[in-house]
Amino acid sequence: MIQAHDSVIVRTLGRIVIPVAQLFGIYVLVFGQHGPGGGFVGGVILAASMILAILIFGRDAPDSWLVPKVLHGDGLGLLIFVGVGGLCLIGGGQFLNYSHLEIPGLDDASRHYVGILMTQFGVAADVAVTGVSIAVSLSADDEDEEATHG
Amino acid sequence: MNSQLPILLFLVPFVTAVAMPILCARRRSWCRPLTTGAVSVMVVLAIMNLRVVVSDGPIEYALGGWTAPIGIAWLDDPLAAIMALTMSAVSLLTLIYGRVAVTSKHDRSIQYHTLILLFVAALIGIVFAADLFNVFVFLEVAALTGYALVGAGGGKALVYAFRYLLLGSFGATLYLLGVSYLYAATGTLNMTDLATRMPELITSTAVVGGLIFVFLGLSIKMALIPLHGWLPGAYANAPNAIAPLLASTVTKVALVAWVRIEYSLIEPGIEVSHIPVLVLLEDIGVLAAVIGGALALVQTDIKRIFAYGGIGHIGLILVGVSLGNSTALAGGLFYLINDAVMQAMLFMIAGAVLHYHGATTLDDLKGISVRSPWITGALVVVAVSMVGLPPTGGFFGKWNIVLGALEAQHYLAVFAVLASTLLTLGYFLRLFSCWFHQPVTIQSERLEIAVSLRLSLGIAAVAMFALGIMSDSIVRVLLESLANGGV
Repeated sequence: MIQAHDSVIVRTLGRIVIPVAQLFGIYVLVFGQHGPGGGFVGGVILAASMILAILIFGRDAPDSWLVPKVLHGDGLGLLIFVGVGGLCLIGGGQFLNYSHLEIPGLDDASRHYVGILMTQFGVAADVAVTGVSIAVSLSADDEDEEATHG
Repeated sequence: MNSQLPILLFLVPFVTAVAMPILCARRRSWCRPLTTGAVSVMVVLAIMNLRVVVSDGPIEYALGGWTAPIGIAWLDDPLAAIMALTMSAVSLLTLIYGRVAVTSKHDRSIQYHTLILLFVAALIGIVFAADLFNVFVFLEVAALTGYALVGAGGGKALVYAFRYLLLGSFGATLYLLGVSYLYAATGTLNMTDLATRMPELITSTAVVGGLIFVFLGLSIKMALIPLHGWLPGAYANAPNAIAPLLASTVTKVALVAWVRIEYSLIEPGIEVSHIPVLVLLEDIGVLAAVIGGALALVQTDIKRIFAYGGIGHIGLILVGVSLGNSTALAGGLFYLINDAVMQAMLFMIAGAVLHYHGATTLDDLKGISVRSPWITGALVVVAVSMVGLPPTGGFFGKWNIVLGALEAQHYLAVFAVLASTLLTLGYFLRLFSCWFHQPVTIQSERLEIAVSLRLSLGIAAVAMFALGIMSDSIVRVLLESLANGGV
């Protein structure tokens, strides 16, 4: 189990760095439309910021409030991804064929834009959750140790 | 709607698997009905898909609207449609069976059912994939969930799950290496595209090396002798509810993937440095069929007997698909469908015997016939089909393989089928001699067996005969598809 860090310098720097890292993660995610970046990289940066929060403040601290909530959301990202793909199916096209993404008032190019952005949000959410859950499960005491051997 | 059936077949289990932790977080008891429901929907979709494909011809499904060489395409042809139906039906059968047989002290049902659904989704992906790399991805999803499912019971199974993981990952690496060779030599991963570029390149070292690596990787996955080491231990120690699911799907689906590659890339009669490729494959199959049967004959553990029996049958199917004519190919594929049902049934029986009687070895079996008539009946039916007597499906599969072998005048293949039949008869006689043995102290009261177990055994037994009766139409569909140039 990870203990909270007691150094003032680390905690203060953490408070500054973590929001910046999260903002940067979202920037990379959205910027993926125009240059290097995208869902996977953005998700990794978001995960890194949350792992940093766990390392500095501990998993159960009020400052890391996002972490336990995030851990329940595994699969949510994939559902967003599949949901966008499913909307294309309902629109009459193939899975993930953004031309058939039925959103009223959008031309073909914007449909592609919105569709890709939304799937990237899904990818980012899933990558971030997976990253955090790997970090948490590596650090956690084996809770079912007794259950397995008892 | 009809043209979207392949992706729906994949999405139904996949979305349910992903949504499972969210839907069932509060109510764990929803897991099982949800899983069974999703797989039942798959069976219905697979039947609809088969009807569409048989009446309207193959569908090429372009994911994201990007067509074949550029995008990732799925091919929904009669072979894929039949296999999708087989895989989903067998999964449903084992899920019905798993109701009683799952024994877990603490509740991990969410993880367990999520893994099962992901596994089934991956099977559908392998069946439809028309792209070498896509096959790899889905093979790995199926394998990774498979490792976890084998180890789900904990204890000794974990050792075998780890061994399966090591060997399975090695196989996947070899496959990927082969794919990269083929990609380097041809510049494409799409199977149709590869097939058009293959004839002039088949003698190139890179292509031959690539094909060899692909075959070796898939042979580990399909447990072809001598690369079968992971299988008996993994299946003998996997949880009772999991062994039938894995035994009836994993090796078969790897073989289906190989059949696609073999059929589209290796032309009949082609020779590489004076070695006829298909004849070589056929000889490997002959060896696997005979050695697998012989190894089954010397086992004492029931699950290991069945596991080696299944390994032998993989060899037999490889013989059928490598004979180079459509009769044998259709026969081999039909036998593959039968083998999926037979393996599911064998491991269901082994699991039930372990669950109700605590029997794992042949000696423990004495006197079971009196106490469990349902299991006995199921065993007799599956034995008839394994040995290959009409009117069960097993007979017609072997019959078509033999016809194809005679047509190709490969008498070694005929010998393999006959030897495999005799060996199968041998280990079933051994099994029966213990099964019907009357112990001195007769406990004649019958055991009450759960309804779901009776149901799953009953459906499987009916399926054995139904496959035999419908063999003609199934083989005809496959032959027509072969005549039109597809698999």
